[in-house]
Amino acid sequence: MSTAQVSEGSESTAPASQVPAAPAAPRLSRRLIAVIPTAVLVLLVLLVASQRPSFLGPTSLRTLLEGAAPLLLLALGQTFVILTGGIDLSQAVLASFGTVLLALWLPIGGPAGALAVLVALTLAGTLNGLVCAYAQIPSFVVTLGTMGLWAGVALAVSGSSTISITKGYDTIFWLRDLRVAGLPVSAVLAIGAVVVSAVLMKVLSRGRSLHAMGLAERAVQMSGTRTFRMRVLAFSLSGLCAGLAAMVLAASQFSGAPALADSLQLPSIAAVVVGGTLITGGIGGPLRTLVGALLVVVLRVGMSVAGVPPSYEQIVYGTVIVAAVALTLDRRRMDIVK
Amino acid sequence: MTEPGPLAGASAGPVLELRGVTKRFPGVVALDDVSIRVAPHEVVGLIGENGAGKSTVLKILSGVYQPDEGVLLMRGEPVRFRGPRDAARAGIGIVHQEQSLVGSVSVAENLLLGVEGRSVRGGFYRWSELNARAERQLAKIGSKISPTARVNSLTFAQRQMIEVVKAISVEDHAHAEPVVVFDEPTSVLAGEDLETLFGQIERLRSRASVIFVSHRLDEVLRVSDRVYVLKDGRCVAEREPGSVDTKELYRLMVGRASSGQYYREEEQGTFDNTVDDAEEVLGADGLTLRGRFSDVSFSVRRGEVLGIAGVVGSGREDLCRAIFGAEPVDGGELRVGGKRVRFRVPADAVRAGVGYIPAERRFEGVAMGMSVAENILLADSSATSVGPFAVPRRRAALVKEWIDRLRIRTPDSGTDVASLSGGNQQKVVLAKWMSSPKLRVLVLDHPTRGLDVGAKEDVYRFVREMCAQGLAIVLLSDTLEETIGLSHRVLVMRDGQVAARFDAAPGAKPTQVDLVEQMV
Repeated sequence: MSTAQVSEGSESTAPASQVPAAPAAPRLSRRLIAVIPTAVLVLLVLLVASQRPSFLGPTSLRTLLEGAAPLLLLALGQTFVILTGGIDLSQAVLASFGTVLLALWLPIGGPAGALAVLVALTLAGTLNGLVCAYAQIPSFVVTLGTMGLWAGVALAVSGSSTISITKGYDTIFWLRDLRVAGLPVSAVLAIGAVVVSAVLMKVLSRGRSLHAMGLAERAVQMSGTRTFRMRVLAFSLSGLCAGLAAMVLAASQFSGAPALADSLQLPSIAAVVVGGTLITGGIGGPLRTLVGALLVVVLRVGMSVAGVPPSYEQIVYGTVIVAAVALTLDRRRMDIVK
Repeated sequence: MTEPGPLAGASAGPVLELRGVTKRFPGVVALDDVSIRVAPHEVVGLIGENGAGKSTVLKILSGVYQPDEGVLLMRGEPVRFRGPRDAARAGIGIVHQEQSLVGSVSVAENLLLGVEGRSVRGGFYRWSELNARAERQLAKIGSKISPTARVNSLTFAQRQMIEVVKAISVEDHAHAEPVVVFDEPTSVLAGEDLETLFGQIERLRSRASVIFVSHRLDEVLRVSDRVYVLKDGRCVAEREPGSVDTKELYRLMVGRASSGQYYREEEQGTFDNTVDDAEEVLGADGLTLRGRFSDVSFSVRRGEVLGIAGVVGSGREDLCRAIFGAEPVDGGELRVGGKRVRFRVPADAVRAGVGYIPAERRFEGVAMGMSVAENILLADSSATSVGPFAVPRRRAALVKEWIDRLRIRTPDSGTDVASLSGGNQQKVVLAKWMSSPKLRVLVLDHPTRGLDVGAKEDVYRFVREMCAQGLAIVLLSDTLEETIGLSHRVLVMRDGQVAARFDAAPGAKPTQVDLVEQMV
C-alpha cells in the first residue's frame, strides 16, 4: 500500500509499557517526590509569615508545635503501616479510647496506669496486625472493622461522656507544661521518636524490612524475612504511637473523651502522604512524615489566617490526600487500580 | 522483503504478514527483525525454545504490544493494534494456552461475551436469541455442545473447542476469513483429545488461516504446511515438513547438535555410588503433602545436583516449594546436614541454610524497586553486620565482590534491579544466595526460564562452581535436556510419587526417552 501508511505503521512509540491502552496519569518522579514537600513547606511558612509576621514569633511557634505533637505521633505510627503497603484506619479511634482509659486508670494506678494504657493500645495494634497477617485480610478492611469496634468500646466504657482527670494527673502533667530549651516537651518527644525511628531504619541491618515489604513482599518473604512478624510489628508500633498520642492529648485536655482524637485520622494519613511516602508502600519514611505533619499544621494555621472556618478543614485534608496520592502513585506497579 | 508480484491479487497475497518486526524491552531485544507470512487457508507452525520470542509475536498479533520497528499487515494493509479489541476486529482470534472462559456461566454467554449486541435489550439478555446465535457459531465447527451448558461442566477438550469457536467468531466483525492462533494448545492434552484438536485444525483450514505455536516438534510437523523457527528473538529458519525432520528442527531451534559441552559435563564431579563417600546434605524420607505428592524420599550429597523431572501436575513444583518451607508438608521427614528440620515458613529454611531460586523471578526472585545491593543483601546479613547493626563498609565490599564475581552488568550497585535484563536479574538472585556463608542447599526452580543463551550458560557455570564448593543442589528445569545435562542423579515424578530414579554420571546419561517413558 502507500508508503505514507507504512511509515506511520513503523513509527516507534513509548517504550515497553506493558499495560495496553492505559491512560497516562500524571505522576511525579521519585526524586521530585522527595524534595517537593520540603519546598512546599518552606513556601507555605513564608506565605503565612508574610500575611501575619507574628506567625514566626516564639509564642505562635510553641502553640503550633504543641498542636502538632499528637498529629505527628499518629502519623509516625501510620508511616510504619503504610510503608509495608497497608493502612491503619483504627488509629485515631484507638487514641481516643486511650484517653478514656487514661482518665479511668490514672486515678487508680498513677504511672502504672499510664503504662497499662500504652500496653493495651500496643496490643490492640498487634491484634490488627495478627488478623491482617494470619487471616490474610486486607488491612483496610480489618482496621475499618476495629475502628468501629474500639469506637463502640470507648463509648460504652466512658458512658458516652468526657471524663475529667482529677486524681493522678501529676503522672502526665509534664507532657503539657514542661519545656525543653523553650520547646514543649511533647513536641520534642514526638520529633525524637521520628528521628530515632529514622536512625534505626538506617543503621540496623534489617532496618529496611518494612520498605522491602511494601515494594516486593513475595520476594522478601522468599528471601527469608519473616514477613508476617514484620507486618504485626508495624501495627504494634502504630498502636504504641496511638497510646503516646493519647497521653499527650489527655494531658493537654485534663480529660479523656470517647471521640477526642477522632478528627486526627484524616490529617495524620494526609501528613504521611503529603510528606512523600507512597500510599502503596516501600518508598518514604519517618523524616518525610515529619515534613508532612508540619505541612498539615502550617496549612491549618494558614487557613485560619485566610479566614477559612475550622469546619472546612476536613474538606481540605480529604482533597489533599487524594491529590497527593494521585501525583505519587506508581500505577505501572499495579495490575489494575481498584 | 519482496512486495507481492503484479499478478498476485489481494486474495492470493498473504492474509497476515509481519515485516521486519523488532520489539525491545529494557535490556532485551525480544524480537529482532522478524518476518512471518501466512497465506489463506495455510497452517503455519511457529516453534522456539522458551524465551525465543514466541510469546512476544503472539502479543503483537493480539494487540497487547506494538512493534518498535517493522510493520504488521493484514490482507496487504498495514495495521496498528491499540489493544486486543483492535486485533479481534481485524480478524485475529487467539486460542489461549490458559483458557479464558468464565466457568460459572453458560456456553452461549461465553461465546458472545462482549459482542452481545442485539441479544441484549434494555440490559436484559434475550435468551432465545442469544442461544440461537451461539448454536450457529458452534455449528461452524460441527460441535454438538449445548449453548445452555455451564462451562464448568465441560471437559477440558470441550472447553478448548469453545475457545476455538470464540476465536473463529472474530470473522463476524472482520467480514473476512479469520486467522486463528493456537498458543501451545497441546501442552495439557493427550491421546484422544489431541486427535480431536488436530481434526479441528484440519477442518478450520477450509475457512481460516492458522498459526500453531508450540515447542513440540513432532506435532508442529504433523499439522503445519510451513514452519518458522525462532531463536533468541530472530527468525532463523523457514522449512516445509517434507524437507525437514524433528532432529533438524531441534538443531535449528537450539542452535547446536550436542549438549555435553553446553552443560559443562566435563566439570561434573563423579560419585562412586557403591559406597557412600560423600556426606548427605539434604535428605527426605516419606515426604507428603496431601493432594500434591506423597511418600517422596531422596538424598542429595555434597557437590551433587539432583534433577527432578515430571510433567505439569506431577507434584515436582510443590515438592520444591516444600523443601524451602513455602508449602508446609503434612508428613515425612526432611533433613539438612543430618539434622531433622521442620520448615513452616521460608525463613526457617533460610536459617537452616537452604536457598531457593524461584521460577517466578519477577515476583519471588528479585525485589523490584530495590537496588542491586539491597537485593544481594536481602537473604543473609550476618556477614555484613555486627550484632543487629549493619556495617556499611562490609556491605559495599560484599556487594562489589559479587557483582564482579558473577559479572552482573549494572550501572552501579544502587541501580533499581527492575531496570536490569532478565539474565542479570537472575544473577542478582544467585548472588543473594551464593554470598551467604551459611548456604548448604540451593533449590533451583526453572533457573533458566526466559533467559537468553548467554545468560543460560552463565547459570550452568555457576551451578558447577557451587557444586565444587560443596553445595547440594535440587534442580527443576524447563527442558529434559537441561535436567539430564546438569544432574548427577535424576528423580522422575508422576502423579505425586517417585516413578523412577536414574544415575546421570557424565558419559552415562539417561536419554530423554528414558525419562519420558516414566513421566507419562
